[in-house]
Amino acid sequence: MKRPLYYLKIWWLMSKNSFMTWLAQKMLLLIFLTAKIMRFAFFAGFVYFISKGAKSLAGYNAPQVIFFFLTFNIIDIFSQFLFREVYRFRPLIISGDFDLILTKPYSSLFRSLMGGADLIDLITVPPLIFAVIYVGALLDPSRLQIVLYLLLLINGFLIATAFHISVLALAIITLEIDHLVMIYRDLTNLGRFPIDIYKEPLRGILTYLLPIGMMVSVPAKALMGLMSLKGIAVSFAVGIVLIVMSVKFWHFALTKYSSASS
Amino acid sequence: MKKYLSVFKISFAQEFAYRLSFIMWRVRNVMQIVLVFFLWDSVFMGPQPIIFGYDKAKIITYVFGLIIVRAFVLSARAQDVAGEIQRGEIVNLLLKPVSYFKYWITRDLSSKALNLLFAVLEWTILYLVLRPEFFFQKDPLFLGGFILLVVLAMFIFFVLIFLVSALTFWMPEAGWGMQFLIIVVAVEFLSGGLFPLDILPVAIQKILYLSPFPYLIFFPLQAYLGKISGVVLLKSIAVSFFWAFALWLLMRSVWYRGLKVYNPPGK
Repeated sequence: MKRPLYYLKIWWLMSKNSFMTWLAQKMLLLIFLTAKIMRFAFFAGFVYFISKGAKSLAGYNAPQVIFFFLTFNIIDIFSQFLFREVYRFRPLIISGDFDLILTKPYSSLFRSLMGGADLIDLITVPPLIFAVIYVGALLDPSRLQIVLYLLLLINGFLIATAFHISVLALAIITLEIDHLVMIYRDLTNLGRFPIDIYKEPLRGILTYLLPIGMMVSVPAKALMGLMSLKGIAVSFAVGIVLIVMSVKFWHFALTKYSSASS
Repeated sequence: MKKYLSVFKISFAQEFAYRLSFIMWRVRNVMQIVLVFFLWDSVFMGPQPIIFGYDKAKIITYVFGLIIVRAFVLSARAQDVAGEIQRGEIVNLLLKPVSYFKYWITRDLSSKALNLLFAVLEWTILYLVLRPEFFFQKDPLFLGGFILLVVLAMFIFFVLIFLVSALTFWMPEAGWGMQFLIIVVAVEFLSGGLFPLDILPVAIQKILYLSPFPYLIFFPLQAYLGKISGVVLLKSIAVSFFWAFALWLLMRSVWYRGLKVYNPPGK
C-alpha cells in the first residue's frame, strides 16, 4: 500500500458501484436489512434474557455480557462491511475470472479483500456504535480504559483482517470447500460471549491458537479494567504477527494458482 | 415408487460430490451446539439448581436434542427450489412424468437420512467428549408424542420452504432474500433452534405460539423432555396438524397461482 490515496480512490469507486447495485434492488435491500436487524434483535434479546435470568455468566453481570456481545458485533459488522468481497471470491477462482484481477494495475489482495463494501452493514453500523457507547458507559470505564478499548478494537479488527486474508488464500489453494468464510464466521461466533464460559482446552484454543478471544473478549475486558499490561501487549503482538503471516500466506497461495479459464 | 427411489439414491450420492464441503457444513452445526452447550453449562455454574424452569440435565438434553431434531426437520434440499424458479430450471422437471412435490420430498428425505447419520455420529462424539448430564426419556407416551411432532414438523418445514419459494414466481430477484429472512433467520430463532422459547417473557411466548415456528423444534423437544403432557401435549399435536394442513392448502393455492403468472427465463 505505497499509494494510499490511489487505493482510497479505487475503494471509493468500487464501493459506490456496490452501493448502486443494492440501491437498484430496493426490495432486496429492504428484505436483507430486515433480516439482519431481526437476527441482531433476536440474539440481543436472547443474551439479555439469559444474562438477566442467570444473574451471572462466568462471573460477568448482564451489562458486561451484553457489552461482550456488542463488541463482537462491532468487529463482525465492520469486517463484513469492508470485506464483503471475500464472500464472492470462490466463484472467481472456479471460473478463472481471477485472471482479470491479476492483470489489473493494483494489488490483487486489495481487490479480493475490499472490492465492494456492503451497504446493508453500513446502515447497521451507527445504531450499533450508539449501543456500544450506551452500554459501555454503564460500566463506568476510566479514560485510559476507553483508549485501551479502542486500540484493542483496532487490534481485533486487524486479527479479523488476517482471518479474511487467510480465507482468500485457502480458497486459492483448495477448491473443495465452498463456504470457508462461513466456517470463519461460525468460529468467531464463539466469541459472542466472554471466552471464560468455555472450559479448557477449548478456552486455550480460542485464546491462543484461534485468537478469537484476543479479537473480541480482550477489548471488552480492557474496558472493564480486567486485563493485565502483559495480556494487552501479547494481544497487540499477536495481531501484528497474524497480519504479517496472513499476507505471506496470500503470496504463497498466489504461487499455487492455476487459471481455470479456457 | 421406483423412480422416487432412484431420485433418493442419486440425491444421496450427490451430497457426496463435495464431501469436504458437506463435512465442514456439519462441523459448522457442531460449533453452534458447542457454543450453546458451554453457555448453558456456564449458566448452571451458579447456585440456582433450576433456571427458567429447567434443571441442568434437561437444558443440556435440549441442546443435544437440537442436533437430532435439526437433522430431522431442518435438513432440506427443497431450499434449492427458489433458485430453480429464478433460473427457469423448474421447467425441466415440470415437463417430466414426476410429481414436483414428491420429487422434492424424496430429495429432502435423502438429505435428512444423510444428515441424521452424521448427527448421530456427532451426538455420540460430543457426548463422549463433554460427558454431560443427560435426561433419557423412558415414557412411551412422551416418546410417541415426540416422534409424531417431529414428523409433523418435517412436513411443516417442507411446506414453509415451498411457500416462501413460491414468492419467487412474482419477485424473481427477491427469492433468496425471502429465504434468508424466513427460512434462515426467522426459523433459526423462532423455532427454538438456538434456545428454548420458554426463557422469553410470557407475553412474547404467547405471540410466538400463534405462529407455526415453535412447532418445528421447540414443541417436539418439550414433548421429549416431558415438559408438556396430557391436554397440552394433545393440543400441541392438534395445532401442529392444523399448521401442516393450513400451510399445505395455502402453499398449493399460492404455488398454482404462481405457475400461472410465471414467465420462466430461457437459456
